[in-house]
Amino acid sequence: MTPSEPGGITPADESLDEVDLELLDGIREIFQAADPMPADLPERLRFFLALRELEVEVARLSTEEHQPSLAARGAEMSRTITFDSDSLTIMIRIDANRDGTVRVDGWLAPPQRREIQMKTTLDSLIVASDEQGRFAFARVPRGTAQLVVRPEDSEQSETGRSVVTPALIL
Amino acid sequence: MGDRTPVTVRASQPDRSERIVRLVSAARQGSEDALGEIVTELSPLLWQVARAAGLRTSDAEDVLQTVWMRLLDHLDGIRTSAALTGWLVVTTRREAWRVSAATRRQLPADTEFLSALPDQGPGSEEQVIIDDQRRALWQAIGQLSPRCQELLRIVAFVPRPDYAVVAAELGMPTGSIGPTRARCLAKLRALLAGDLEGSSR
Repeated sequence: MTPSEPGGITPADESLDEVDLELLDGIREIFQAADPMPADLPERLRFFLALRELEVEVARLSTEEHQPSLAARGAEMSRTITFDSDSLTIMIRIDANRDGTVRVDGWLAPPQRREIQMKTTLDSLIVASDEQGRFAFARVPRGTAQLVVRPEDSEQSETGRSVVTPALIL
Repeated sequence: MGDRTPVTVRASQPDRSERIVRLVSAARQGSEDALGEIVTELSPLLWQVARAAGLRTSDAEDVLQTVWMRLLDHLDGIRTSAALTGWLVVTTRREAWRVSAATRRQLPADTEFLSALPDQGPGSEEQVIIDDQRRALWQAIGQLSPRCQELLRIVAFVPRPDYAVVAAELGMPTGSIGPTRARCLAKLRALLAGDLEGSSR
């Protein structure tokens, strides 16, 4: 695939007549109805782009599992989500608190001390992981959130780049 | 088809192109709002591109995130609305196929996409007629080759003035995309006209 030469392009529309255009309109309507983009996706993408940093590694959602909550209160489920990036694996478990917030317990592999930031639409919470790579946010508001794992001291030590997860819905 | 009516570009379209160019230039200078407007306007197209490649919804979301992140490094080279759309479509498509090949998950078969036609329920008489047309179109699309299905699905969401560049960016020079797309559309029209069995070549 080579980049196109803008100068060498003639409008391809010339080969389309009104019937074709109506068909394309129909195709668009059908797919818009059958497979619409999630309505909140642009907002989540904007949220994600707004916190871009110069040197970041983007982690990918690797697995997500639901199991009965360890707190075992009613039918509440606990979610375990794993994110992978080139240098780091981040696993979090999300449990509902009784006050409507959630508790997030996390582990970094390989284990290391990092600054962990939880960005939410309301504010942003910061904790540190211990040397086993464990960290916890006791109460996080529900809604869109995102984790940013930063080098332990902000003076950009050799611990490397920040890692961000995709936006997730708590 | 010999006698095709030339298509006149709607008057509002040049405005759109100028607006996109302004937004890109503002985004290049760091405007989050401008970037956000572009994201809101073009993500529905990129969603279709990613889903047409057979990605699960969660993977499609990841791909869009990756593509928009990557655009930030490419804003400098983008000067027109068509170039923006073209770059986004081709990057999304490439990334979507990469993810789909890497994960080797069962792709949603064409049957899934066919069964996904929403049931509109009882509506006005006019609604019923529209639904019938839509159903016929849906079934006809399902009989096209996967390549035609993907191509038409993408092109249907591309802003019209950007068709040619996007077509070229999809790796098919205008000289061949025109015929390819026209062939897909001609096949579709034949299917809709009812002569499916006989004339499929």
